[in-house]
Amino acid sequence: MKGLGYLEETILLLVLSMKEDAYGYSISKAYEEHMGKSISISAVHAALSRLEKKGLISSEMKGATATRGGRRKRMFTSTEAGIAVLAEIKASRQRLWNLIPPLS
Amino acid sequence: MKQPLPHPPAWLDRILEWFVAEDLLEEIQGDLHEAYQDRAQTNGKQKAALLYAKDVLKFFRPYAFEKYSAARQFLPMAGNYVKVGLRNILHRKGFTTINLVGLTLGMSAVMLIGTYLHHELSYDQQADHHEQVYRLMNHYRDQVYACMPFPDYYQTSEEDQFRLINQISGYEEVQNACHFVPSQSAIGGGDQFFVEIGTRKIIAENLLFTNTAEAFFSLFPMTFLQGSSYQIDGDQRIILTESSARRCWGDSWQEQNLIGSTLLVQGEEFEVMGVIEDVPGNVHYDFDWMIIQRQIPSWGAYTYLQIKEGSELESVMDRLNAEIDLVYPGYKEDILSKGVIPIQLQDIHFTDGNLYELKPVMKPAYLTTIGLIGAVLLLIILINYTNLSIAMYADRQAELGIRKALGAMRRDITSQLVAEAVILALLCFPACWLILAMAISPFEELMNIQLFGISQALPWTHLIVLFGLLFMTGLISGLYPGLVYGRKTLLTLISPNKSRQPLKRFFSLRRVLLTSQMGMVIILISVTWFIRQQIQFIETMDLGFEQDGVVYFDIPGVEKYDLLKAELEQMPEVAAIGANGVPGSEMFNQLTFKLKGTDDIFSDGTEEYIDAGTFRALKIDCPVCEELEQGKSQVFLINRTAAERLAGVKGVEPEALIGETIITEPEWENEEFGFGIPHQIDGIIDDYKYFSIRHPYQPMLISVFSDIDWVYTMVLNLQTDNWAESMKSIQKAYEGIEPERPFRATLLSDRVSQLYESEQRSGTLIIFLSIVALMLSLMGVSGMVSYVTFSRQKEIGIRRIIGASDTAILRLFGSEYAILIGVALILAIPIVLTLTDWWLEGFAYHIEPQIWAVIAVAVLITIPVQAIVSYWIRRVGKAHPVTALTQQS
Repeated sequence: MKGLGYLEETILLLVLSMKEDAYGYSISKAYEEHMGKSISISAVHAALSRLEKKGLISSEMKGATATRGGRRKRMFTSTEAGIAVLAEIKASRQRLWNLIPPLS
Repeated sequence: MKQPLPHPPAWLDRILEWFVAEDLLEEIQGDLHEAYQDRAQTNGKQKAALLYAKDVLKFFRPYAFEKYSAARQFLPMAGNYVKVGLRNILHRKGFTTINLVGLTLGMSAVMLIGTYLHHELSYDQQADHHEQVYRLMNHYRDQVYACMPFPDYYQTSEEDQFRLINQISGYEEVQNACHFVPSQSAIGGGDQFFVEIGTRKIIAENLLFTNTAEAFFSLFPMTFLQGSSYQIDGDQRIILTESSARRCWGDSWQEQNLIGSTLLVQGEEFEVMGVIEDVPGNVHYDFDWMIIQRQIPSWGAYTYLQIKEGSELESVMDRLNAEIDLVYPGYKEDILSKGVIPIQLQDIHFTDGNLYELKPVMKPAYLTTIGLIGAVLLLIILINYTNLSIAMYADRQAELGIRKALGAMRRDITSQLVAEAVILALLCFPACWLILAMAISPFEELMNIQLFGISQALPWTHLIVLFGLLFMTGLISGLYPGLVYGRKTLLTLISPNKSRQPLKRFFSLRRVLLTSQMGMVIILISVTWFIRQQIQFIETMDLGFEQDGVVYFDIPGVEKYDLLKAELEQMPEVAAIGANGVPGSEMFNQLTFKLKGTDDIFSDGTEEYIDAGTFRALKIDCPVCEELEQGKSQVFLINRTAAERLAGVKGVEPEALIGETIITEPEWENEEFGFGIPHQIDGIIDDYKYFSIRHPYQPMLISVFSDIDWVYTMVLNLQTDNWAESMKSIQKAYEGIEPERPFRATLLSDRVSQLYESEQRSGTLIIFLSIVALMLSLMGVSGMVSYVTFSRQKEIGIRRIIGASDTAILRLFGSEYAILIGVALILAIPIVLTLTDWWLEGFAYHIEPQIWAVIAVAVLITIPVQAIVSYWIRRVGKAHPVTALTQQS
């Protein structure tokens, strides 16, 4: 099983949740929105790069806009492997949580 | 119409494009641009740009880099270099500390010198148009006067004071012209003034008088803290500097609007028109208060003009000199008036010899000397640091060999060593900063200059220079070992051939460096020694008059003089009272004179009007003066220099001149005497050093009166055990007679030593720098010696086993250094003599530099060097011989 860092896991989840619209900048905005903490675009890009190298997400270039000076975005979607890894993580977390008496 | 989208700063984009890999550029840059647009909308363009810069910076990480770019190659290793570098520092704490301490001290000294040089070289260059500003000077007789006279001197009317200004302002090439007189200048009177603000009374010196204030601020722009240079009008106005405002109104002066307030200066009302920043240290004038009134209280003024951009000064000067009679009627006919000459503003500070100059000038020779010393110091630092770096890496050759085995290329070894050297050097930065911050005040006091304003903070430009210097030092001194070790083959590094026989090549780099270093130190110390000798010579030289107990002060007018004299004669401590004639002056107004009946006219005479008391106070022998006590009203004396010269003209013995007549100012046609003023020579007096000993004896023509009618200074000779008490009584007596002007007495010895102030200051500075250089060199030598001795451990061990004593080993090792010092000495001697002669040029009376002193310096240096060598030999020798022999070497 490939090791997945906390940031990588979070970003993978965000990619999954954003379906069609997942690219560097939008993910960083979503991160700030959902996690309440700010994050630099470069950190997001680096994590995405690592995830892609591990084969958990795939990308393609599309969607140029004028705001970006005509430059395209690299849009990410998760692969089957990615979904599988997330499911496993969720499952193992749940097992651990079940061991703990309910927090009041 | 759709508005064009704002853009993030292009230069940031260029940086991004430089280091980011091609295939990643589009998405990264696109995201950043998009983010910029969003932020520009919500937070504004500035914030967006700032965040853009942050983003670019944050992308500077290995993931984004071009695959084969230099950055990608160096940076991963950077961490390792830092780690290894730090580790090495920690392993050799003592060694590194010496190294860094030397570097810090040396670099701080170099920075101080650089700051000082910059200060002096930037004199008067604050304004953008400074190159178009010139001062007008009057060439009269044989001298150039820094100020221009008024047409009728003290008698000139208000309007006529403007004649010269109006004349030149009318020329089309001239943009503006102004004139002023600082009270502390030679023509300003040097008075002190009572200033009253409300009920408070303070004493002010350093006033500047002008009636062309608007033009002044146009030529010499100054920063106004209150008011502005466009609102100067009217007269009876006063402009304060920051410090003066603080003196008057306390620290809270800024909270009040001082414009319009009234001050009384010597009883007259003046309205405050503005407050300006303190006059910086590097301009050729100085003042704390500016008085704007209709008439300047002097016989002339320092006059300046500004020509328009693109105009030529020559045509202005030609026209002025052609029409000069319009300003000074009769000027062209007067054979003594040789013309009006200009001097460019920035040259004023470096031009010696102008009469009545405002501030002491800087001899370019001094600046060059100090600059050279700074350069020498820098060289010594570089040599030291390089030597020590070489020594440091000698032991790490195995490490470098292993790096090569693991794939490091020559370039990587070089970059490592250079990077380490640079990092180490930069470590000194905070310490240097601290030292500089602390050293500025004492340095300013020592050199009597003001480098920085009240804030006394080091400007960031200096810090950048410091950083750059340290960086370059590290770079240069790291390059040598970097290139040397980079070139060595892997095998040589891992098992080096460390045979350390005495170097077969006589001129090895190490020896050359060491010799040049020793040479520089010898030169510095010798020159310092000679400078000190000269200063001592000056201070103890017999000037021909008594300084002990002599004090003088200004007294306005003969009535007050007589009154005060009568009172002071009652005091037993007062041994003698005289009027005028205080020696220890800078050169002033010279006089033409000739012997009656001859044609030779001399133009370098100095005239004095004194009473006999002055000679008594100065203990100058004057037998002829007894005639005054027998009823004669005045005697006219000439000094030996004048006598010998005139006697030469006539071909007689000097004594024969007694009874002959001298004519002063023989070119002056007048009704009473025809030509000039005749004086009958009553006696000859021995030469005494009236002026500073930079000048040879000048011919002096002294009129001694029994009942003098023109007095401006009172001279006293005090014989007392309680100086303070006596001075108080004298002050009280003075104030009883002259309540308006403050009492200010000066010791004659202070006045005399002030003449040599600049020499003393530069002398002290050079001494201090020599000490620093010596310390640095000794540290460097110590490092070198330790390295060499440690690497010859085996040899030392074997010699000891065979039976050599410590002294024999010392002699063997030490002889190398002794020879090097000898070589350095031979090379140094001519340089020392040349430099010393250069420095002594400014003095008519000076010491003769002796060669044996230089030899002595070299011998003296050998002592600590031998001590260092013996210390390290003993350190090495302490190890058990077996340990030494089994050293892997």
